[in-house]
Amino acid sequence: MRAGPWWRIGWRNLGRNRRRTLITMGGLAFGYLAVVLLVAWMEGLTAEMIDSATGTLSGQLQVHDLEYRPERKVYDTIGGRDGADVEALVSEVAADPLVEAAAPRVYAGGLVSSGEATTAGLLMGIDPDLESRVSKILNAVVDGRPPQAGSNDIVIGSEMARQLAVGIGDEVILVVAAADGSMGNDLYTVAGIFSSGLAELDASYALLSLVSLQFLMALEPSRVHEIAASVNDPWLAPDAADRIAARLGADALGIEVEPWTRLRPEMLDYAQLARAWNGVIIFIVFAIAIFGVANTMLMATYERRREIAVMLALGTTPFAVVRSVLAEALCLGAISIAIGATLTLPLMLWFSNAPPSLSWLYGDFTMLGALIRPVLRVEWNPGMWFWSGVALLITTVVAALYPAARAARIPPADTLSGL
Amino acid sequence: MRSTTVSAILLLTTAAAASGQRSAREIIDHVDRIMRGESSYGVATMEVVTENWERSMTMEVWSLGADHALIRITAPRKEEGMATLRAEDEIWNYLPRVDRTIKIPASMMMGAWMGSHFTNDDLVKESRLIEDYEIAISHDGDRDGATVWEFTLVPKPEAPVVWGRIEYQVRQDDMMPTWARYYDEDGNLVRTMTFSDFRVLGGRLVPAVMELIPEDKPAERTLVRYTELEFDIDIDESFFSLRALRSGGR
Repeated sequence: MRAGPWWRIGWRNLGRNRRRTLITMGGLAFGYLAVVLLVAWMEGLTAEMIDSATGTLSGQLQVHDLEYRPERKVYDTIGGRDGADVEALVSEVAADPLVEAAAPRVYAGGLVSSGEATTAGLLMGIDPDLESRVSKILNAVVDGRPPQAGSNDIVIGSEMARQLAVGIGDEVILVVAAADGSMGNDLYTVAGIFSSGLAELDASYALLSLVSLQFLMALEPSRVHEIAASVNDPWLAPDAADRIAARLGADALGIEVEPWTRLRPEMLDYAQLARAWNGVIIFIVFAIAIFGVANTMLMATYERRREIAVMLALGTTPFAVVRSVLAEALCLGAISIAIGATLTLPLMLWFSNAPPSLSWLYGDFTMLGALIRPVLRVEWNPGMWFWSGVALLITTVVAALYPAARAARIPPADTLSGL
Repeated sequence: MRSTTVSAILLLTTAAAASGQRSAREIIDHVDRIMRGESSYGVATMEVVTENWERSMTMEVWSLGADHALIRITAPRKEEGMATLRAEDEIWNYLPRVDRTIKIPASMMMGAWMGSHFTNDDLVKESRLIEDYEIAISHDGDRDGATVWEFTLVPKPEAPVVWGRIEYQVRQDDMMPTWARYYDEDGNLVRTMTFSDFRVLGGRLVPAVMELIPEDKPAERTLVRYTELEFDIDIDESFFSLRALRSGGR
């Protein structure tokens, strides 16, 4: 506050009607808190969606044969008809510093049957040990256990189990169109039942050991459809994917390494839309705040019009009057930010450490195929704290422009003569 | 398989017996009755060619009326003993490897039958053309040097069918069908079945070879060739039971 008398005058003017100043500051501080919390909550929702969508089954990045998507034919295994050195590829993918773990997968569409009930199933061959580090699907086994490698164990979704009326230890028949054109069929034992909360998964997915599904499908052990990998921060998955693709020489091998942002572009679009809404939230909250601040400043300058008239009569330039009013507004805004941040911090700490359950308000729901838990999850976003503060300061200055201009144009003679 | 493909054929071939004065529907109905026989037995081979593999299967086929059929695969070894039972609207498969029968769910009726280009739905619907479609003669005269009828089949409003339109061509001189074209609801050609090798089997003139080619993959095809056919054999509904399906159909 080196800046001379106008700052001092502005600062001191804040103290002339403390109740009004405090109420205005309270409003601004609450606006700041609302923006930061709302945005943090929306980003929490987006993060929850991305975590669920990528973490439940798909992983944050996937390796496929270039031909595999979008038709997902059983023949288009990584490396084409000849297959690939799956073990080496998996460890190459897992070697990336951002990747936590990688796991190979085989997919097949087929019939799952028990007694008179038959349903179409998406069969997924997995390496149980690696898979548990890539996706959460094996954590969702609510009854029984994951499939053992090389066994005829099968783990099915809770809805499929209901439709087939089977439980742990019961037999199911799988029928698939194998890669050689024959009809692969065999008996499997239900080892576990998972309940992911995602209706599609629970009704149609069946997990079995990779080797067992390859045998059923008449696929060589070197042929897998997918290598899925988990990346701690989903937003870093594109970097990891590009780096892995470059190191493997993906184009030369005829494979693609794709992060979830390219596999699920609609989810990325949603995340970006949610981000764009942050700006809208800031705009709405502070647009409302502008009128509150403008009203306060108009009142304050109106009360002081005789004093301002004296200043003007003594030779103060109108610009100096404007500066003092703007200084007052800036001080108001700065203190409001401090109060707002002080109020926001403990709330954010609370929400991020122990997200309050909203299950009394709503249950689990799914969005874009992702399961959203009913918790008030928040995401820290330092940029949002900063930009909300900047927006608040701009708000106060803009709101003060009109009162300041009015004050600068007070006619000294008329005002002092009591008109 | 025979029941699917043959029924279409039968419809057309029987048209031969009908006089030109009768309606298209009457012609096809008449053909259907004559060609299906009360019952039938046949031996056929099915060759399937796809982008990814080629294979050949040999099978025995029994049918009774319009609603019952049993197909049992006799070769190759990997599929030997596999059987499909069609009874009314239901399709059951028998899997000898696990000694179990499974019912094909409604949602899988459009799935491929035994890896071929025929669907399970074909097994059920082939015998229902007269019930499900309005049939009209769209062409009566010369076509490529032969005198033919061409029929256009359009599904009735409530009919549970997958095709938007079916077209058949039948030669008038010997009443043999030459092709059937299947269109989707947007009027796009989806697949073409062609008939050839017309010969007398089981005392009736039939096309011994039927070839189905999907429009979107012209390099793929399923070819069914009958080597034996008998009509009006001694067989009853008990033959088309789940118990019989499991026991081997004999």
